[in-house]
Amino acid sequence: MRPPMSQRLLALALVLPALLTILLFFVAPLGASVTGAFSLDGDFTLSNFGKSFELYSSDILFTLCIAGLSTGVIGALAVSIGGYLTLGENPLAVAVLRWLYRWPLFIPFIVVGQILRTFLARNGLMNNILIAGGLLTPLQTTSFLDWRGIVIAFVWKQTPFVALLVAGAMASVDRGTLEAARNLGASRLRILLEILLPQVYTTLAVGLILSFVTMMSVLSVPLMINAQSPTMLTADIAFRINAYGDYGVANALGLISLLMTAGAAAIYLRHAARERAR
Amino acid sequence: MKIALKAVLMLGAMSLPAPAAELTVITAGDQNMVDYVNQYLGPMFEKENPGDTVRAVGTGPGDAGSQKILERFEAQKGNDSFDTDVAVVHEKFVGPMLKESLLKDYRRDIPTGDLVTSDKARMALGTDVDGYVMPMFSSQTAIAYNPDLVPNPPKTYAEIADWAKEHPGQFGYNGIKGGASGVSFVMGWIYAFGEGDAKTLMNGPFEESETRKWDKALASLKDFNTSATLTPGNAGTLDMLSRGEIAMGPVWVDMFYSWQADGKLPPGFKLVLPAPGMPGQPMHYVIPAKAAHPDLAEKFVALATSPKVQAEGIVKRFNWYPGIDADKVKAELDEKTWNKLFIDVTPEDLARNGKPFPIAPYNNAILEAYERQVAN
Repeated sequence: MRPPMSQRLLALALVLPALLTILLFFVAPLGASVTGAFSLDGDFTLSNFGKSFELYSSDILFTLCIAGLSTGVIGALAVSIGGYLTLGENPLAVAVLRWLYRWPLFIPFIVVGQILRTFLARNGLMNNILIAGGLLTPLQTTSFLDWRGIVIAFVWKQTPFVALLVAGAMASVDRGTLEAARNLGASRLRILLEILLPQVYTTLAVGLILSFVTMMSVLSVPLMINAQSPTMLTADIAFRINAYGDYGVANALGLISLLMTAGAAAIYLRHAARERAR
Repeated sequence: MKIALKAVLMLGAMSLPAPAAELTVITAGDQNMVDYVNQYLGPMFEKENPGDTVRAVGTGPGDAGSQKILERFEAQKGNDSFDTDVAVVHEKFVGPMLKESLLKDYRRDIPTGDLVTSDKARMALGTDVDGYVMPMFSSQTAIAYNPDLVPNPPKTYAEIADWAKEHPGQFGYNGIKGGASGVSFVMGWIYAFGEGDAKTLMNGPFEESETRKWDKALASLKDFNTSATLTPGNAGTLDMLSRGEIAMGPVWVDMFYSWQADGKLPPGFKLVLPAPGMPGQPMHYVIPAKAAHPDLAEKFVALATSPKVQAEGIVKRFNWYPGIDADKVKAELDEKTWNKLFIDVTPEDLARNGKPFPIAPYNNAILEAYERQVAN
């Protein structure tokens, strides 16, 4: 039976504010940004993309590599942390790790950039500690304020987020399967890789894709650590607007990074669909 | 009795001061600009003009701050009077404001108008602004160096290039995406090594053909970059200098002195302004064409550009170069303060090697050429 007219109207009225908010504050600006990428002085053009690729192709590649590499390292670390929290045998170590690993979650990216900027410099805290510890001589030190600095910042900040999701998923895995494997003599590493990981794979993928998208949009870290060339696309977008007032190329670069994140999401969706079909 | 009352009333009315006015000063730049008006200039002005008050509004740092002021004026173009009496803007925005007749020609009406004779009060990046501006201060970029590592600092761009080759990694600058000190170094490089005439770049007119004369300069800059260190930002260059990671790099002079005063840079570090010159820029006091209190506004700018205020406020407090002529300010300062500002970069150096930035279209063209040919 269809609900009466008044109820349907009420439902519509309830949805309307949310719908309008999305249309007004998300779809409209996105649409304007997309159309802006294809327009120059009001005419349709591809020149914004031409310029984007001409000037920033190495930055596009750089961004993809940095975000991809960071995602990989974050995944490995998150699985290790989650694995130890689930399978660890020393209760004290597990408690300490559980307490410690979440801290970076609460620290904004800009602060991470600020901390690492002095920590990773050639004569910064890290190298000074290594020198004081006799591990390096002053002449051997190098600055990490380049692509490595960005990767370190991203990994440090995003690992807890993914680890939190993964550890939660691992905790809900049926302990019986783990105990059974242990009884049959499987090592903890093997249990992690062959029993735990396949069961939390979806959660891990979601966490990593969300991290990838987040990292693609961070401006403060590349600005604080490495705004030279090559640099992340976000720094280029900011520069196009601040230095030239050129929203066309900035929009084009934005669309390019949107395509990259959409690519990551598509890979995940296809995989998820295949999983469901099985 | 009635007469006595009337007399008292009359007397009261006569002794009343002129109606109190609120002078609105709107300024681009960092918070320190707002503080400068609120904490220093405002109280001084209020003391000299009892009853009147000064209200300072900041519009934010960088060009974006001045852009907001321009848009604010444009929006009020049709009004009988503007909500602003005095504005402080970057020189780049005076031209666009003049083009729309938003400003008042006032310099010759105020007593301090004659105290500035330099070109910067006449031309602003290619636009004739004579009469419409009073410079508040000038900021200048220069090369900072560590005398322990560089006993004989290079005096020209060519010497800098050679020095950097001989000392790989020891020269640091922040590229063009990390702040204006790096941009300034690049502009100076084009002035020095570009095949066109630097004067055309600074004064216009813009011609497409000029932009093709930089290929060699940019190729040599790309080569230079292989032996230079790229730093993260204006502050990043100073940071690396203070940690001893680089020995030399372009900085804003006022920032350099402020850091030194705060103990963030060793006291021995020095500055040199290499030939043929590096850019700096003034910030200007302008009065809108339809200011609500034009007379008070002129009084305010006259006070702000008086030798005493320029000495105390601009030079001593903020380490900026004075807006009015330096020799007019010198008499107001003790030897120590004066020396601090001018010992490394003398007034003569400043006159010879302190250059303006290129006019906007060349500025953008050079930045984009850098992106295309150096950074890519």
